[in-house]
Amino acid sequence: MNSLIRSYGKGLTGIFVTLTAFWLLLLIILPQAFMLDQSLWSIDKDDQLGMKIDRAYSDLGLLEYDAQQATGDTNPAVQEKIDTLKEEIATLEAQETDPPREYGLQNYTRMSSLHFSIFVKSIFYALAVTVLAFAVCYPVAFTIAKLATPQRAALLMLGLIIPYAINELLRVYAWLMILDYQGVINSLLAWMGVVSFADKTWIPFLEYPGSVFVALIYAYVLFMIFPIYNTVETLDKNQLEAAQDLGGSVFLTHWRVVLPHAKPGIAVGCIMTFMLSVGSYSVPQIMTRGKSGDWFSQLIYRQFFETQNWNVGAAYAFSLVLVCLAFILIMMKVFKVGIRDISK
Amino acid sequence: MRGKDVRLEDVVMRFGSFTAVQQTNLTINAGEFFSILGPSGCGKTTILRMVSGFIDPSEGRVLIGGEQMNGIGPAKRPTALIFQNLALFPLMSNWENVAFGLEARGVAKAKRRDRAYELMALVGLQGHEEKTPNELSGGQKQRVAIARALAVEPAVLLLDEPLSALDLKLRQYMRAELKEIQRKTGVTFIFITHDQGEALTMSDRIAVMKAGVVEQVDTVDNLYAHPRTPFVATFVGENNVLEGKISHIQDGFAIVETQQGAIRGINQDKATIGDKAMVFVRPERTKLLNGAALDNTFEVDFERRDLEGAFVNLFFKSDTGSIIVHEANLGQHKELEGRAKIGFNASDAIVMRSGELSDE
Ligand SMILES: Nc1ncnc2c1ncn2[C@@H]1O[C@H](COP(=O)(O)OP(=O)(O)OP(=O)(O)O)[C@@H](O)[C@H]1O
Ligand SMILES: [Mg+2]
Repeated sequence: MNSLIRSYGKGLTGIFVTLTAFWLLLLIILPQAFMLDQSLWSIDKDDQLGMKIDRAYSDLGLLEYDAQQATGDTNPAVQEKIDTLKEEIATLEAQETDPPREYGLQNYTRMSSLHFSIFVKSIFYALAVTVLAFAVCYPVAFTIAKLATPQRAALLMLGLIIPYAINELLRVYAWLMILDYQGVINSLLAWMGVVSFADKTWIPFLEYPGSVFVALIYAYVLFMIFPIYNTVETLDKNQLEAAQDLGGSVFLTHWRVVLPHAKPGIAVGCIMTFMLSVGSYSVPQIMTRGKSGDWFSQLIYRQFFETQNWNVGAAYAFSLVLVCLAFILIMMKVFKVGIRDISK
Repeated sequence: MRGKDVRLEDVVMRFGSFTAVQQTNLTINAGEFFSILGPSGCGKTTILRMVSGFIDPSEGRVLIGGEQMNGIGPAKRPTALIFQNLALFPLMSNWENVAFGLEARGVAKAKRRDRAYELMALVGLQGHEEKTPNELSGGQKQRVAIARALAVEPAVLLLDEPLSALDLKLRQYMRAELKEIQRKTGVTFIFITHDQGEALTMSDRIAVMKAGVVEQVDTVDNLYAHPRTPFVATFVGENNVLEGKISHIQDGFAIVETQQGAIRGINQDKATIGDKAMVFVRPERTKLLNGAALDNTFEVDFERRDLEGAFVNLFFKSDTGSIIVHEANLGQHKELEGRAKIGFNASDAIVMRSGELSDE
């Protein structure tokens, strides 16, 4: 702070700090706080409320009729009854228009076993996607960073980036077309005579959860490749040669030299891929077309926009945030990297 | 003695159309401390990489201990390379660095740990085993690299300018240390350097390279006393140079007509009358004369005097730059001014056909 003030002066430093604080508030704290708040209360709606109000009104009508019949000497007892009934109606109506919030963890604890199994399944799938993406990306990143000539590395990188200029939805649709009943792969198989469209003996790729995997990996590979590439790139080539010279096998060299060096990149890649895939909505939505089980993100969407239960939706969404946070902490522990290494 | 000999037979190395190493024949004896000396970019590292197996020569054969090595990778050769930047593994402890080669050979952890500790003791690094390389000083890192290379029990240790990053004091100390390790282990050392002083103090024999060509391979003494080319004469140690044409030849001596007059020296190249030639004479064999005359005596303008502690360098102007007279500092300093008479004996001067000089 002091060094900032010294190098930029009070005015500019003030602007920097204010902007940063504003950014933190607007982008991080505010939406999460709102979500957390939403998730922590529910409205305990009384189903009988409407009926109770109706009954009270009819009672009131009767009483008022009684009061009118007894002209002249108004019965104070009846009048008192009318007053209490009116008060009762007022509180009931207040309850209906502004129902009392009941704070607690009920939105979290009341998750149905079906939803919970989807929750667990989604986490498991996202983990699987992360592992698979790592298995695919690490060799690619290593090859580009250390084995290719600089020109070829640049070309390969460009080749990897170009598809990302296309909208994510279109990229996923491309996979849909590849894996569809009469898609590219099945057409190829049909051409080879393995399956037949007429007999509907095509392979229903889209009904397997694997198709979502493929599309998710495809959608998020770059987020795995780039961080790994960046860290592997900085590895001194002489270290690879030294390991080779000392007789280190490919496995040992990677296990003892390259992987430890690439740890921060791997951690970042895994965190990004995991978070993106566990929270991905469009990919499972497009790929399954509702034919295989729900992903948790689809469930959250439905809580918000179909069931209109924002509180439960917020609780579900916040559970996912907690899972992601836990994942980050676990990754940091496993890879023994600090926040500093990751934010590099 | 577990060192092995290394032979390069008609080796050529090309990168595309560029020839980094011209046809070379080189024999390095088992257990020898052999240096390859040459200016930057002359192909020293390329030769080392051919011996260690990272590259195969475009032509010719590499033999280690009499066995043909072409096509065999670095892991399978009885060599270990110490890189110019050491290339220690920064995320491993020092003993794990040293033990890496053993780990690659499947030695059990307890055993390789013991061996690593032993080797670190050999290079004087007790107590630093559990630290990481980045917690060590430059000289200590150097020693970890040496221990790591020795761990695989190489027959040939290849060192690519390993001392160039160290400061002078440490460098001198590490020279002695390396020499000692070489003596103790009997391993063949091939040591690369562009520092001729370093090569002279450490080596049994030296190969001097220039632009992909090995100009001379010789013992340290011979290299200094009998340089074979103008480049070697000026690259290894200092030499005064006088240029001219040969006018007479007699009894293995030649007389060269220079700006300083007729100069007589050993006709090393068996040059003939009329050839353009250079006369080389070491500064310590060149004398400042008062009265007495030597075989070659002439007058030159005094330029300046540099004190180097035990020695004094006196600089005189000549047509080819400076002539240096290297004198012991005996505390009898005389003020010099104007012209002075200097000279040297014909048997201390070497006449060669003109050629390229070292620009250092
Ligand atoms: N892989 C390569 N591809 C193309 N040219 C190369 C390659 N390796 C080396 N060279 C060239 O070969 C020549 C000799 O290189 P080398 O590394 O052997 O020099 P050096 O004597 O070790 O120099 P230095 O003292 O600077 O390390 C240089 O001109 C270099 O540019
Ligand atoms: Mg080099």
